[in-house]
Amino acid sequence: MDVFNNFLTGTITLFSDPLGILIFFGGVIGGMLFGAIPGVSMLTLAAILLPFTAHLSAEHGIMLFSVIYCTGVYGGAITAILFNIPGAPENAPTAFDGYPMTQKGQAGKAVGAAVMCSAIGGTVSCIIMMIATAPIADWAISAFGPPEIFALVFFGLAVASSVGAKTFWKGWLSILIGLMVAVVGLDPVGGIERYDFEMPYLLAGIHFIPTILGFFAVSEIFVQAEKKVTGSYVAPKIGVEFPTLKELLAHKFAVIRSIIIGFFCGVLPGIGATLAAFMGYNEAVRWSKKPETFGKGNIEGVISSETANNAATGAAMIPLLALGLPGGALTAMMVGVFQMHDMEPGPLVFINSADLVWVVFAAMFFANISIIFVGYLETKTIINLLRIPFQFLAPMILLLATVGAYAVRGLTIDIVVMFLAGVIGFFLRRSGYSVAGIVLGLILGKIGEQTFAQAMQMLHFEWSGFFDRPIALGLILAGFVTLAGSIYGAFFKTNKPTATDPAV
Amino acid sequence: MNFRKTMAASAITLATTLLSANVAYAACATDGLPSSMAKPDGYPARALTMVVPYGPAGGSGQVAQAMAQAVSDLTGVSINRDHKPGGSGTVGMTAYMASPADGYAVMEHIDDASSAHALDSGRPNPATDLIPLVTSQITFSQIYIRTDEDRFTDWESFVKWVTAQNGRATIANVSKEGSMERVNMKFITDATGMQIQQISFDKGAPRYGALAGGQVDALFEQPGDVRKFMDAGKFKPILTLLKERPAAFADVPSLTDVALDFDPLYRFRGFYVHKDAPADRVKWLQWAFQKAYCQPSYQKYNESKYMTLIESFRDTQGSRDLINQTVAQYREVYKSMGLEVK
Repeated sequence: MDVFNNFLTGTITLFSDPLGILIFFGGVIGGMLFGAIPGVSMLTLAAILLPFTAHLSAEHGIMLFSVIYCTGVYGGAITAILFNIPGAPENAPTAFDGYPMTQKGQAGKAVGAAVMCSAIGGTVSCIIMMIATAPIADWAISAFGPPEIFALVFFGLAVASSVGAKTFWKGWLSILIGLMVAVVGLDPVGGIERYDFEMPYLLAGIHFIPTILGFFAVSEIFVQAEKKVTGSYVAPKIGVEFPTLKELLAHKFAVIRSIIIGFFCGVLPGIGATLAAFMGYNEAVRWSKKPETFGKGNIEGVISSETANNAATGAAMIPLLALGLPGGALTAMMVGVFQMHDMEPGPLVFINSADLVWVVFAAMFFANISIIFVGYLETKTIINLLRIPFQFLAPMILLLATVGAYAVRGLTIDIVVMFLAGVIGFFLRRSGYSVAGIVLGLILGKIGEQTFAQAMQMLHFEWSGFFDRPIALGLILAGFVTLAGSIYGAFFKTNKPTATDPAV
Repeated sequence: MNFRKTMAASAITLATTLLSANVAYAACATDGLPSSMAKPDGYPARALTMVVPYGPAGGSGQVAQAMAQAVSDLTGVSINRDHKPGGSGTVGMTAYMASPADGYAVMEHIDDASSAHALDSGRPNPATDLIPLVTSQITFSQIYIRTDEDRFTDWESFVKWVTAQNGRATIANVSKEGSMERVNMKFITDATGMQIQQISFDKGAPRYGALAGGQVDALFEQPGDVRKFMDAGKFKPILTLLKERPAAFADVPSLTDVALDFDPLYRFRGFYVHKDAPADRVKWLQWAFQKAYCQPSYQKYNESKYMTLIESFRDTQGSRDLINQTVAQYREVYKSMGLEVK
């Protein structure tokens, strides 16, 4: 009852304040818009707004950031589905099946599924956050150290080998390319310079956002341009109908599974929504009876990715509020908002600023609900962008992608990386390799390398140490079982593609 | 022996400066500067750009924001922060050095720039290749344990326990080769003879989570970064890496108290401009940044980060002295560690 009463009080406080309402809806719309523009993400909006939050009350400032977080994670799904441009890395797996659905004239269904599942994932994780923030936070940091996170990454990579490539071997080669790219720059432990070719900018490593934009958006432009030149281009059909309740219910297990995965990844400090989305998608493929349909426009791919990444939002607030540990860049900026108001997130927040916490909880809850309504209106309008002829749309997409690549770090080399990835992606897609696998290898590789090095230091460089930690052991075994299953399939079920996808 | 003498000499100078500044702290360091200064030939006619070689959420991002706000409040000139993270500050430094020296671009940087130059003289020397406008944060480090820890409760019992583990005890750190953290830890382990495995976490949240969750036994950090954990009763310091106890940590032993005879390295953050920027513009920037240091908003920020326990302010010459001393100190340490100093 305490939770309900507190939630009610938070809701009344939120909606009885005209300025609060204005900030709430401003955050909802701003998060969606900035989330939808590639590269110029919700982080850009948050960074712009950060100094201004000093002039707001602590409740308004933190509430604004929380709302932007919820809707920004969803916003990036729209361009991922319509144009194969993920608005943010956590929307990349959404494009795997969302964009093929658009090409099949099912854009409305894909966006509708993204809207509904983002709202469901976010709302459920928000409710769990309200009920059990403190114990979950304590459990997460005690149970999950670097060995467990590395084991999780290993498991993720084992599953990922079946995403998007024509064969098991090409899937693994794609992932290995991603892992190789991930080691460019300073090593995460000793600071040793690797593969920088004496170019200082390469010391910062290859960032995954320009890589994603290149592999997805730019290579797609090339693919479509080639079709245009050869006369085989077919404009995508416009479909604005939402998925029916029955269609969504058919994927209820995928939703539940993705909520658990998303929540779980979100609650780990420093992991967040990107890994959540990839893991959610990978598990959808692994559990599916028809894994070969993924990457070709299977709505469950969109459902799993979007449910998981939004489920991570509420979860990421748990370590932030309970322990003062931000899970990602946006929650780290929230720490800045707290500090501007002479506050520190952490256990004392619940004692010293309980009112504020419950206003934020209520705002996040309603922000997730509002995704449904605003998302519905958005769907009915934005999908019409597909009516723009390709020759006009393509330069717009390239321009947006270029701005997005540059905006990440303000480095020209990121634009070069994006176009290189576009060209490489164009050829790799023709030869059955998986650009999704490369991106996944790049993202997970960076996390995996760091946590592996930390784990080995913690375990005193003894491999057997992994086996003394039950969660790490379980995940590593699950990874090996998955790997063994894939190898078996590759040898004994030859010529059966896993999840072929010329579009991904 | 020469190494120890050199180290002692440079550190005595640094410590004397820090402590004497501490005594004079009652009034803010730049109260004596004029409250306004005419813009030279209308400069700045547009917003300044501040290159920050780290992300917006960390210590550098926060101090950059606080200083930019203070300068804007003081002068009415906007400052756009341009974050260029990566390569331990190398990317931001490279980008800044390539920008026009017209006084419209300034840069925030930390002691990593000094240690990078100490290791490789080909890297820019912040004292000579740039003009320091102000050093606005200088802080010390501490060793922390969980408050509910029962295997050890203070420095003495910690050293005893760690020694008994024979190298299996762990401490969360930013243990990049040659970093301030690693060098300070080398001093500690050399002096105590204990072996402890340093676990490298480059981001704060996982580092603090590792101690809070019991993944590691201790944490090496600066007090401002873990203040919330101390205030919440989660972490407690068991050693202050200073020769004397600061008042805020009167019950925590200093290096002298536990008979550790070495001179610790400090974390410092400051703001710079191109050495070739027009002299009148540099003068105006020096006034703006040094005066902004004493703006109430900036002082409040520094206090919240425990940055007033030892004097954080250095003007241009003071910053150069600090950098030069630090570079010399790092060079000696690197040589003693067997690192190749170029």
